[in-house]
Amino acid sequence: MKKFVNDPANFVKEMFEGIYLANKDKLKWVPEYNILCRADLPKDRVVVMQGSGSGHEPAHSMIVGPGMLDACCPGNIFAAPPMDYVYECTKLIANDHGVLHLINNYQGDRMAWDMAREMAEADGIKVGVVIIDDDVSVTNSLYTVGRRGVAGNFFVIKAVGAAAANGATLEELVELGKRVNSQVRSMGVALSSCTPPAKGAPIFEIGDDEIEVGIGIHGEPGRRRDKIRPAKEIIEEVFTAVHDDLPFEKGDRVALMINGMGGTPVSELYLLYGLAAKKAEEKGLRIAKNYVGNYCTSLEMEGFSLTMLKLDYTLETLLNEPAEIPIRVF
Amino acid sequence: MASSSSITQEQVELVVRTMAETAIKNEAYFSELDAVMGDADFGVSLAGGFKAVLNGWDNFDKSSIGSFLLSVAKEITSNTGGCSGPVWGTLFMRCGMAFRGKTDINIEEIIAAFKSAIEGIMKRGGASLGDKTLVDALDAMVRSYERSNADGEPILTAFKKASDAAVETRETTKDWVAKRGRQSFTGDRSIGTYDPGIVAVGDMTKAIVEALGC
Repeated sequence: MKKFVNDPANFVKEMFEGIYLANKDKLKWVPEYNILCRADLPKDRVVVMQGSGSGHEPAHSMIVGPGMLDACCPGNIFAAPPMDYVYECTKLIANDHGVLHLINNYQGDRMAWDMAREMAEADGIKVGVVIIDDDVSVTNSLYTVGRRGVAGNFFVIKAVGAAAANGATLEELVELGKRVNSQVRSMGVALSSCTPPAKGAPIFEIGDDEIEVGIGIHGEPGRRRDKIRPAKEIIEEVFTAVHDDLPFEKGDRVALMINGMGGTPVSELYLLYGLAAKKAEEKGLRIAKNYVGNYCTSLEMEGFSLTMLKLDYTLETLLNEPAEIPIRVF
Repeated sequence: MASSSSITQEQVELVVRTMAETAIKNEAYFSELDAVMGDADFGVSLAGGFKAVLNGWDNFDKSSIGSFLLSVAKEITSNTGGCSGPVWGTLFMRCGMAFRGKTDINIEEIIAAFKSAIEGIMKRGGASLGDKTLVDALDAMVRSYERSNADGEPILTAFKKASDAAVETRETTKDWVAKRGRQSFTGDRSIGTYDPGIVAVGDMTKAIVEALGC
């Protein structure tokens, strides 16, 4: 294994330090609990937070900023945050309007966030909960009860982040988050495995000519192992699985995302987007927004996921609201 | 003030310390029990959590039984591997929330706290009564407390009887099928084996009875 790393046990901490040093004026960092939050935490509206595991960057630690998350408290690589991270983060950012918890549907996350919510509520903090489970690949997985939460997270965060900034109440945000989750679907394919620094070895084995169809973002098995095929055949399968699950219907306005898993070049992602956009057109969908790049990764895994969100006027407006996060090109 | 109907914060702290010492002393034994049907990590996980409790002990908020138990809950939850963390953490958290601001507790308050803890654990881990988990041992204890309360027995007598009830559970559940956790993956093969969580509760209460001089 070759990685840019010092002591692998400090990998997450040192990544957080880097994010903080690049955004010192905008972020506050609490190393004991892996908390990154806005330096100018809003006091006059609901605040929104998320955790889950590290290793999916830019989710979640690099998307704290105006119009997105107000705070995050991820656990170690691919590990749910311990309960006290969530509890301390909730207490740190809480105000009278309440705190919204956005939780990925994995057993460890569910239990830690559930406990932290109970403790925060016992302290008199108002907490709302939205659970994200957009992956259509499998109905159950290694670490889940039910479907997994993957790149669809981005749309839940973007929509509730914008609505929170506009002053929506906690109840309205819970309602909105659930609605986005109910209208978004995803599925991924991996070409390669990935190596968590502290583990030092790939999390699963895959042959040079093999792909994992329906891969999870922690390397969990998907629908099946297959031989590599032309990209258009892979898109055909993934697009159809996502499309038919909701199902999307002719005339729907949609947001279409091709998300990179971390190790796939942007050139391949755009190649995949082109194929997916043509499929969408064939089905009579209207792509109102598109997203191509690394949104929810698995370290250096080669692979992609396709996410599609059914839009309505409110959602489209919220997706178009301004937002600012630490990862930026300009 | 110690009385025959309530226990003091000092005694509660002794209970937790005794639980911790039991978990650490039995690390290998509990893991062996888990190896029969599970993934052999229960003893190590539980001992890890309770070692953290002993390490953090001096910094716990001891202004009341509630705040003390909530400090324990945080250490347990964050330092116990696998699903034992949230399960045992919930036990201490629910008791901590029930005993907020109190410096002594009576049997009725303990019954209410245990019921809240059982409900919390069932919700957290999705276990039901009869699934052959530590919930069955805790439930046996609650029913014993209720009988003692109805009979007006001294609190330490109630503890002794509840401990006997918990210890008994290990044998009464032995021939049940495990329905939760990794043990459940083995289905009928779990019949005739001890559930490590139930054994741990029994061993802890036995040690507590000795430590409190019930």
